[in-house]
Amino acid sequence: MEMMNTDDDSLCEDSGNETSGDDVDFNVEVETSVPKESQSYDDEYQYEVLSTSDIVQYMSDIIDEVNSVLQLPPTTARILLNYFHWDKEKLMERFFDGDQDELFKEANVINPFKKIPVTGKPKLSLKIRGTEECDICFMVFAPSHMTGLECGHRFCYQCWNEYLTTKIVEEGVGQTIACAAHNCPILVDDETVMRLVKDTRVKIKYQHLITNSFIECNRLLRWCPSPDCNYAVKVAYVDFKPVVCCCGHIFCFACGENWHDPVKCSLLKKWIKKCDDDSETSNWISANTKECPKCGATIEKDGGCNHMVCKNQNCKADFCWVCLGSWEPHGSSWYNCNKYDEDEAKAARDAQERSRAALQRYLFYCNRYMNHMQSLKFEHKLYSSVKDKMEEMQQHNMSWIEVQFLKKAVDILCKCRQTLMYTYVFAYYLKKNNQSVIFEDNQKDLERTTELLSEYLERDITQENLVDIKQKVQDKYRYCDGRRKALLDHVHEGYEQDWWVCKEA
Amino acid sequence: MANIAAQRIRREFKEVIKSEEVAKCAIKVELLNDSYTELKGEITGPPDTAYEGGVFVLEIKVPETYPFNPPKVRFITKIWHPNISSVTGAICLDILKDQWAAAMTLRTVLLSLQALLSAAEPDDPQDAVVAKQFKENIEMFQMTARHWTNVYAGGPHVNKECDDKIKRLVDMGVEEHQARVALSSYNWDIERATEQIFS
Ligand SMILES: [Zn+2]
Ligand SMILES: [Zn+2]
Ligand SMILES: [Zn+2]
Ligand SMILES: [Zn+2]
Ligand SMILES: [Zn+2]
Ligand SMILES: [Zn+2]
Repeated sequence: MEMMNTDDDSLCEDSGNETSGDDVDFNVEVETSVPKESQSYDDEYQYEVLSTSDIVQYMSDIIDEVNSVLQLPPTTARILLNYFHWDKEKLMERFFDGDQDELFKEANVINPFKKIPVTGKPKLSLKIRGTEECDICFMVFAPSHMTGLECGHRFCYQCWNEYLTTKIVEEGVGQTIACAAHNCPILVDDETVMRLVKDTRVKIKYQHLITNSFIECNRLLRWCPSPDCNYAVKVAYVDFKPVVCCCGHIFCFACGENWHDPVKCSLLKKWIKKCDDDSETSNWISANTKECPKCGATIEKDGGCNHMVCKNQNCKADFCWVCLGSWEPHGSSWYNCNKYDEDEAKAARDAQERSRAALQRYLFYCNRYMNHMQSLKFEHKLYSSVKDKMEEMQQHNMSWIEVQFLKKAVDILCKCRQTLMYTYVFAYYLKKNNQSVIFEDNQKDLERTTELLSEYLERDITQENLVDIKQKVQDKYRYCDGRRKALLDHVHEGYEQDWWVCKEA
Repeated sequence: MANIAAQRIRREFKEVIKSEEVAKCAIKVELLNDSYTELKGEITGPPDTAYEGGVFVLEIKVPETYPFNPPKVRFITKIWHPNISSVTGAICLDILKDQWAAAMTLRTVLLSLQALLSAAEPDDPQDAVVAKQFKENIEMFQMTARHWTNVYAGGPHVNKECDDKIKRLVDMGVEEHQARVALSSYNWDIERATEQIFS
């Protein structure tokens, strides 16, 4: 979900001070409950949004830090860090406690402290003295046109460029490109790659590959999940908290999903898996079918007659759609089931009922969840209709700042929808107790006020007198946001007090 | 064709021509077109193996991105070997896949293939039927491979018994190669081979 840029909200709130007296309490509450948008929902949770070049810088800072102790060439340090998934402590520990030769060998880098003799001697051309032959293109060059790694395998610049480009572009290899010689495991360091690759696009791809492996093995970093967004978010500790990317996308740092308060990551994950599950979808379709009480085949009622004949050709059981008992005792009263309480029929019904009830329950929550998700998508259209309204109002002597409340109203509406959506996931896994009843009341309240706000912004607003609109809209969205906050506070309190008992569903 | 690739093949071609293996008639490369994209390779069966005395022809296709990607090589001569398909001639060899290195050459490829004929890798098979026979009945495998070498690669070891069994199936109207494949796959059990052909 993409939020509109709302940097001007503080201005909007300031200009909202001329509201009438009885609104003051609300106003104060709203001031504190609505944070400065797109910066943070939660002031205590510190994070930074990093661009690709910030990440590159961050990586080299870590390398410098490690090197202040280890005193390695930076390129070697980078290869070692990558080998230890950027865990500095682990690297230091291995470096000082273990066999260093073994460590360098494992990480496929030459031990910089040991000047071992070059393994592959430069292949001197027999034809012309003072020249070398490249083992890839077989051409003869002056030594200054040849280059290689510490392993001693040398190739010409053109071949290096081609070789690295093939690895990066075709095979998508970043940090772990090995020397071009056969059976030589020594890794090509990043500086060498950047020096030898000519094409800028290939360089960019390479940088992305190496930052990607860095981000993926660092728990405190996460790419913004928004498509085509190249920012990453860095935190001090992993938590179930919302972070706002520079692109405007708001997501949960712990799991990367859209911000999903009040439901916790693990349950949301479970829920999404459940929704994606094919068997659930097929259950959905079968909501208006029943299973044959004898063989279990799925039967659809195709007409008004309650006398069902199983479609399974090996079963062909006759049964009653209403009671699920066998058809025989229904006899001549075929038009009317009067066997509802017979034992056999009751047992069959109970078994079916239990699985149906679970399905019905799932469908109930799923429908509401989907419904808010759908509405949330539609609300984005509201932004454009509201924009027209804002222009109209500006033509009636209202300033640009004064009309921002309308956009703010849609922002709040979207937030409420999103919260509501996830309350249904929370509720689905919630066991009933006194607190869950309060939660459901809060949910009902928020749902009602959200629908009112939505309806007002979508329809009623067109008929209102321009002067009244501002007051009414502000009252409504403040009330709505207040309900949202009350619901979330109650859930958060419950997390702290251990009120919530999870249902195994 | 890319500059490096053409340059390389031209040079490699010369390298093979003047190599000592050619002098010993062990490997050979021929150009099939002027653009160096298709070549014909030849290797002789290594001594003291079932392939001894045979000459095996290879199809070599050089990709645009050579030598940064390996050449595509397959056997044209039919061969009975766990790592080479008896049907298509496709080869299962690491250096022709992920273990390829830009500094390797056609010469190293041909020598590696020759080495593969001396030392099969039945645990990484290309032809499951052959690999099974190799592991379960090595003598039967040797005999079959030698027979194939004789028939398809000009090897010296004529096996009268095999030829007779094939003739019996051919007399029944079975195509000769099909008869040889069936008999080879069923350890030269003529009844089971017949059953398989006519089932
Ligand atoms: Zn070169
Ligand atoms: Zn090397
Ligand atoms: Zn983003
Ligand atoms: Zn989460
Ligand atoms: Zn049935
Ligand atoms: Zn009934």
